[in-house]
Amino acid sequence: MTRPSLYSLTLALPLLIWQLAFFAVPLIFLIAISFWTVRNFQMMPDLNFGNWERILMRGIFWDAYLRTAILATASAVLTSAIAFPAAYAISFKLSERVKQWVIFVLIIPFFTSYLVRIYALQVFLSDEGIINAALWMLGIGPFGMLNTTFGTLVGMVTLCLPLVILLQVFSLNFVNRDLVEAAHNLRCGRLRTVGSVIVPSARVGLVIAALFAFILSFGDFVSPLYLGGGNPPTLSILITDITKSGQQWPRAAVVALMMIGTLLTVAFAAITYAYKERGK
Amino acid sequence: MNMQTPVKSEAIVRLEGVVKRFGEFTAVERADFEIGRGEFLAIMGSSGCGKTTTLRMLAGLEDPSEGNIYLDGERVNGKATWDRDTPMVWQSLALFPFLTVQENVEFSLKMRGVGKVERAQRARKWLDKMQILEFADRNISQLSGGQRQRVALARALVTEPKILLLDEPLSALDAHLKVRMQAVLSNLQKDLGITFVYVTHSMSEAFSMADRVVIMSRGKIEQIGTPQEIYHAPRNRFVAEFLGSANIFTGKLVEKAGDLWQVETAHGRFAIKAPQTPAKSVGDTLSFVVSAEKMQIGAVGAGVTGIRARVVGEEFVGASAVVFLETESGEELKVQKSHGELASVDLHSGSTLTLHWEPEACHVLPGE
Amino acid sequence: MTGNDNRLINAGLKLHIAVCVIFIFAPILGSFVFSLNSDRFPSLPLGHFSTEWYRLIWEDPFVWAGFFNTVIVGLIVAVIATLLGFGGAYTDYRYNFFGKNVYLALALLPPTIPVVIMGLAMLAFLSRVNLSGSAISIIIAHGVMCSPFAMAIIRLRLSQMDPDLEAAAWNLGGNEWATLRHVIIPFTKPALFAALFITMAVSFDEFAVAWFVSGLNETLPVKILGFLQGQVSPRINAIGSLAFLSSITLIILAQMLLRNSTKDKS
Repeated sequence: MTRPSLYSLTLALPLLIWQLAFFAVPLIFLIAISFWTVRNFQMMPDLNFGNWERILMRGIFWDAYLRTAILATASAVLTSAIAFPAAYAISFKLSERVKQWVIFVLIIPFFTSYLVRIYALQVFLSDEGIINAALWMLGIGPFGMLNTTFGTLVGMVTLCLPLVILLQVFSLNFVNRDLVEAAHNLRCGRLRTVGSVIVPSARVGLVIAALFAFILSFGDFVSPLYLGGGNPPTLSILITDITKSGQQWPRAAVVALMMIGTLLTVAFAAITYAYKERGK
Repeated sequence: MNMQTPVKSEAIVRLEGVVKRFGEFTAVERADFEIGRGEFLAIMGSSGCGKTTTLRMLAGLEDPSEGNIYLDGERVNGKATWDRDTPMVWQSLALFPFLTVQENVEFSLKMRGVGKVERAQRARKWLDKMQILEFADRNISQLSGGQRQRVALARALVTEPKILLLDEPLSALDAHLKVRMQAVLSNLQKDLGITFVYVTHSMSEAFSMADRVVIMSRGKIEQIGTPQEIYHAPRNRFVAEFLGSANIFTGKLVEKAGDLWQVETAHGRFAIKAPQTPAKSVGDTLSFVVSAEKMQIGAVGAGVTGIRARVVGEEFVGASAVVFLETESGEELKVQKSHGELASVDLHSGSTLTLHWEPEACHVLPGE
Repeated sequence: MTGNDNRLINAGLKLHIAVCVIFIFAPILGSFVFSLNSDRFPSLPLGHFSTEWYRLIWEDPFVWAGFFNTVIVGLIVAVIATLLGFGGAYTDYRYNFFGKNVYLALALLPPTIPVVIMGLAMLAFLSRVNLSGSAISIIIAHGVMCSPFAMAIIRLRLSQMDPDLEAAAWNLGGNEWATLRHVIIPFTKPALFAALFITMAVSFDEFAVAWFVSGLNETLPVKILGFLQGQVSPRINAIGSLAFLSSITLIILAQMLLRNSTKDKS
């Protein structure tokens, strides 16, 4: 063990200090304030379990929790299912040049405002919106799509799809091409090759992609609010509602901590599953 | 290591009990040797034998865990590589891709605070010497493999060091270019009169260029000597096997009649002529080698022991062929003969041949 | 193409890629079209072409103020995130040390925490240490969110570097600082610029954190949220389209830099 040099510390420490001070400490601070009390719209340091009690004993919290978990799971499954054929085709069927272009195109949405996209989706999905107008010309509809669970899911899939496709493509790119040809050579049909060779080989990437979709959807508050109508609330909406009404930051902190706990548990479970050795 | 030949002149490098450990792993164990001023020394061994680690310790890129390294009389343990003048030519060449050829060569002068004009002048002198002056303003990516090699040499030599370290610099080149660059390196070393320490896994490179060769295996130095010494008198089984053309036999010394010894082995009793062999007395176990070219095929005269062995296969090596055989007890043997000599021999896999050799063809391994 | 490829299936798969891309880009293109449409709430058939919404935001001093704040915050965030990210990427590239996993987790995890929670935590914390409600608080928050992106981009570039390059520079007489200046930074330069552009683009878009954290000084995304919460106004399309165009310009610049740099990799 040698003493770290001034040089190494100069390069390593700024990021560490910044993320400790402005990322780790605020999150830890969140734990602290979950035990504080609010009097006259002022937060006071305290060791009060009342906030936890108030939130965890309330049906509205658990309703929201269940709703959010189901929505996020549905979004992860739906997005993965929609993304996989596309990712498979990008990774296996496109030439290197076209592949590069498609990947570049899929990166673009990360740099557009999610909010602006959701606003545009409102125009598409509303009762007199683009889609219903088009359907009306065909003589069907109208269908109520805005302020429904369907609307929320459309928004979440919009948010997650580019990322999930990209992550799936990257993991599929690592699948040994010889394995696929060997499978064909052994008379394994196309669909069975996908199911029994490609998916198991790319499992880690596929699970991680679905995990990201879950994380993004679980924390999203734009889609549930502007496409789902915001009522009944999801956890994110619950947080914003609680902070706006009567400065109940400690209770919002409880909700936030429950969310972080859930995300950590799901992430840990997913990663354990992804890396689990087969046949052991 | 009392086996080493003395260096030809005063030493520029001295390693004293140098050990290098990486955690649990010992990369180099107890290296003790000297490198002479103006000597071309090759360090040879297979990958992971510690040859590159030894070179990196000379360069100051690794610090020895134990022992001392002296450069030009000064103990340099702990002295950073940038404070030494021990330039290295890398296997990957490690040319700076964002600099031009001339800027690459100027680099070490710039680091030493040499002014712009002098820098350019000295760099161009070396580019000229390496016959690549016309490429001075090119990007590295525009050069061929051989040209890059010359840039790497110029970059390392521009400070006119007393010693140059080379880490498998030719391994990426094709055979033809490799031989050409070997000549360039040999001539360069003679012209400059500086010390070259050359790490390689290739016997042909080491033996064709070096004054002395160090053979390493698993962190240990197996033998140090001139190419002739090593080739004709390998010190132990490892070196003999590494040289690749030897058949090794082990047995008990049963009789000494002057320099004609009788050795009892699993294959019978053999006579060997052992003039300069170290002290062995009757009853000792010893190993001797017979090189593949000195093996004979065919009928055995009276008083000569032969070995019967089955043919496994043959391999063409230019004008000759190497026949691989196996004895009944599973020992592998090799015979190298010209195609003419082999024409009348039945070399079908499975056919049995009788092998023998002259007592003069045997060399006793002193280190076994 | 071999016998293993079925034309019909391949065509179907490619069609599916196209459908996904259309689905992803419909809202983006939609907002462009709507921003140039006369209708307040566009539907089929579309109204006539109009630049009315652009004129309205052009004349709105608040939009301008928001725009300048966004640009200034974005620039400062880009510089800070790139510097922090460079240090982190180099540390990961060069060193192995006890607790490196924790270091990397701290460095890279922020984007996986929901923005609502990050916003809540930061506002609570920053107001406690009297840093909230100012541009500084937005810069701090964006620095946390953007430095992982910078770090990833620069780390990727470092992994393309010949591992002997740095040692070669030391061996030629450059100490660590000189080598940093004359070898590491020149080598990573394209990635440094790409990181600057991309973190700036990310900062443009990180509205939710800004919404929670900022007080008086609104950035553009905060402005957008204001529009959405109040009366729906198609001006958001015009603003979004402009923000998108500036982001995408930055991304294309970054992409070009990275492309060129991989070409001259020796």
